[in-house]
Amino acid sequence: MPVGYGRVVVSEADCAADAALLTDLRGVLSDRARDNDFERGLYSRDGSIEGSAPAIVCLPTSTAEVAEIVRICRKHRRPFLARGSGTGLAGGAVPVGRPVVVATSKMDRIVEIDTANRIAWVEPGVLNLDLSRALAPKGFHFAPDPSSQQVCSIGGNIANNSGGPHCLAYGVTTAHISALEVVLPSGETTVFGGLDAEPPGFDLRGLFVGSEGTMGIATKAAVRLTPNAPAVRTLLLDFDDVSEGSAAVSAIIAAGLVPSALEMMDQRAIEIVEAFAHAGYPTGAAAVLLVELDGLPGGVDAGVDIVREVAQRHHVGHVRVAADDAERALLWKGRKNAFGAVARIKPDYYLHDTVVPRSRLTEVLEKVYRIADAYGLIAVNVFHAGDGNLHPILAFDRREPGVDERVKAAGRDIVAVSIEAGGVLSGEHGIGLEKRDYMGMLFSAHDMYTQDVVRETFDPDGLANPLKIIPTGSRCSDSFHQNVPEGAWV
Amino acid sequence: MSTASPPGEPLSTTIPVGEPSGTAGTFPLHLDIDSDTLASCVACGMCLPHCPTYRVTGEESASPRGRIALMRDVAERGEADDAFVEFMDACIQCLGCETACPAGVHYGHMMEATREALATQTRYQPRSRRLAYRALGMPRLLGFGSRLLGLSQRLGLMRLIALVGRVRPFRQLAAMTASLPRVPVRQPPLTASGDDVWLFTGCVMDAWMRDTHRAVQAVIESTGAGVALPPAGASCCGSLHLHAGLAADSRRLARKVMAALPGEAPILIDSAGCGATMKEYGHLLGTDEARRFAARVQDVHEWLAARVDDLPPDASDADGAAPLQIAVQDPCHLRHVQQAHLPVRTVLSRYFEVVELDDDGLCCGAGGAYSQQHPEVAGAVRERKVAAVERTGASVVASANPGCTLHLRAAGLDVRHPLEFVAGHLPAREA
Repeated sequence: MPVGYGRVVVSEADCAADAALLTDLRGVLSDRARDNDFERGLYSRDGSIEGSAPAIVCLPTSTAEVAEIVRICRKHRRPFLARGSGTGLAGGAVPVGRPVVVATSKMDRIVEIDTANRIAWVEPGVLNLDLSRALAPKGFHFAPDPSSQQVCSIGGNIANNSGGPHCLAYGVTTAHISALEVVLPSGETTVFGGLDAEPPGFDLRGLFVGSEGTMGIATKAAVRLTPNAPAVRTLLLDFDDVSEGSAAVSAIIAAGLVPSALEMMDQRAIEIVEAFAHAGYPTGAAAVLLVELDGLPGGVDAGVDIVREVAQRHHVGHVRVAADDAERALLWKGRKNAFGAVARIKPDYYLHDTVVPRSRLTEVLEKVYRIADAYGLIAVNVFHAGDGNLHPILAFDRREPGVDERVKAAGRDIVAVSIEAGGVLSGEHGIGLEKRDYMGMLFSAHDMYTQDVVRETFDPDGLANPLKIIPTGSRCSDSFHQNVPEGAWV
Repeated sequence: MSTASPPGEPLSTTIPVGEPSGTAGTFPLHLDIDSDTLASCVACGMCLPHCPTYRVTGEESASPRGRIALMRDVAERGEADDAFVEFMDACIQCLGCETACPAGVHYGHMMEATREALATQTRYQPRSRRLAYRALGMPRLLGFGSRLLGLSQRLGLMRLIALVGRVRPFRQLAAMTASLPRVPVRQPPLTASGDDVWLFTGCVMDAWMRDTHRAVQAVIESTGAGVALPPAGASCCGSLHLHAGLAADSRRLARKVMAALPGEAPILIDSAGCGATMKEYGHLLGTDEARRFAARVQDVHEWLAARVDDLPPDASDADGAAPLQIAVQDPCHLRHVQQAHLPVRTVLSRYFEVVELDDDGLCCGAGGAYSQQHPEVAGAVRERKVAAVERTGASVVASANPGCTLHLRAAGLDVRHPLEFVAGHLPAREA
């Protein structure tokens, strides 16, 4: 029985065609095209909780190989999707429709570092933190720093337009990508953007960043280098009351400061993070703020005074200023491992990523706790408070019968209250599979139709990471309707 | 058949890791790992950059997250195939992943249980390898073989080694010798000096690197303590056996070692691999006696760091000269298993300038017998370590584990045990 995936139809006959596809791919990649059950299983999921196995896993080492893979997929009319480190949280790298997975992990060279022009050319498999470490001796770093920065790849950052704590002051990934070498779904290789400050024509680079692999595969990127600040101070503030903490967040920004990072953790988050990092987080506090200021020493010291003063107005418990780089690193180690550390409560977690106006943090947080309670789930909050980017984590054990429905329903309610409060669907994790079906809460049918037209311009055959981002049924073409899965929104 | 998650459908709760095959090439395998332990990994991926085999391959099957998913799959299906064995065998067991894991997953115990299942239920460890491992627990045979090797090296008789290598049981050992530095022919025995602490001497290390023990003993004695030495027979801690899945052999050796080191005195170890295993005897044997024994085990640097003020001042004649820069290579079994890598710095920095590597303690690729069994991967992993050492600019490297030392020396680095550096800076001893 054929199973429809939008414009891509996979039948059992197509499954039989896997062998022919594999033969062609092996011709290019030799043993770096894999079809054994174990490895297909390993590439069936990313850091999210959904999964389905691809037909074949490819491990290319060059742009030319990626282009060949895409051409072969076109010839066989088989979907393909790029995968970096597989740490995405919205299912963007989950294979749908028995596709070919193009894992970029072996393309991990830093091709060129040009400090004079503050540009580095890198391959997509370079890990975010590896890049910043390679730049450190030259006094630079790559500014976007997702919590998973030690493992996530630049290619994945580009796909999701990733953020991170320090994007509050420095901007998200798109602000740090100057040019992209891209293999288009047609199999052609092109360059979007350029090294000039303002390349002529449409900003296709800007369009590509955040497109989650639906417009092709980035095979090289010119990333902008950010100079390391001469002075950095990291403060930990604790509060007896979550609402005082979130009020302090707004007050710090209102005082005219833009800290380089402004993070918040609630009591459960503090406990699990401390159990892992032993950084001296106050486990009794209702909430902590992790505030980082960077810049010239005089400005940073003045900023510390302002933060201290604002925090005192909001009844802060303690103000701890990290004494040295080691203490700073320890505090960040805790924050950046918070999600995985949730396993200390339950073996699975479902992490949401909505954005709300800063002024409504308190109210939305209260609703998040109520939603979790109503579904009998545990909510842990650790998030980028400075830009109102919530990351409610629902901890659960997938072996409990019926828990998946409750988790999904709670997730949907959280998205709904965020949007009601004037927020948006995603701050930095992308839409992927997870939020695809919530797009209609934020966008009209016409909005989504327009987005799909743009996407189809790049990928008329619908082979590039199909069925992600835009809900099935956003376009009204006859050929499309024939293959809409049962229950899809039309 | 794969499925998307159409609107309104529940999230998929079971992630198919591979599809059931039940076809040719599979064999039954019972993995004795409970489901809570297997479920403890949330697949966040934080371990990936800290895994040496993932680092050099970029492949999920060579990552801790991937291996746990495969174990979970095999545990559910009750069968495995050759690919599974290959993926499990490719792990160096450095446990860098455990240090990195925010969820505190006990990967090491899972891998040991998997290797044990493979060794007891399949032909994972062929007879030849089992015999080679067994030889480690036979000090006389090991000593004889080592002297033979040393003589052969000196008399240009390496062909003799090749000949010995034709005898199946010695194939592993003979292959190992090809990459070895000169092995001593005669080593003066160590002499006990008291009973304040035991110095555990081990198997291969005592046969090939007794001068390291001599230096370690001198440093311990410089604090005023007397050193007791185990009798012949307490030779091997069983570490390599445990990693190979030969847990029964490992338990047998553990009981021998425990019997040979009685009393309450601390047991000091100058080989990180042995220390890591001996600290785990409680888990291995599951008895109170083993737990009490394990509590007495310390890496020698831990013991010295607590007495660093008792160490004599620098007696070298380098007046006014800048202290020697030493790059510290942390053996995984010291840093990731024992978390005892900082005391090395405490001791070294009394005499030298300690220089840190910038690789977060990534494994060097030695991994006990791993570098002999997987030379290609081990070599690629070592290249990263050599590059990290070169970035420091230091000309010498300190490593508190014999396996790492030999592996890195074979790449041309000047590597010594930390306490060999220290021993050279102690005042001359009154005879």
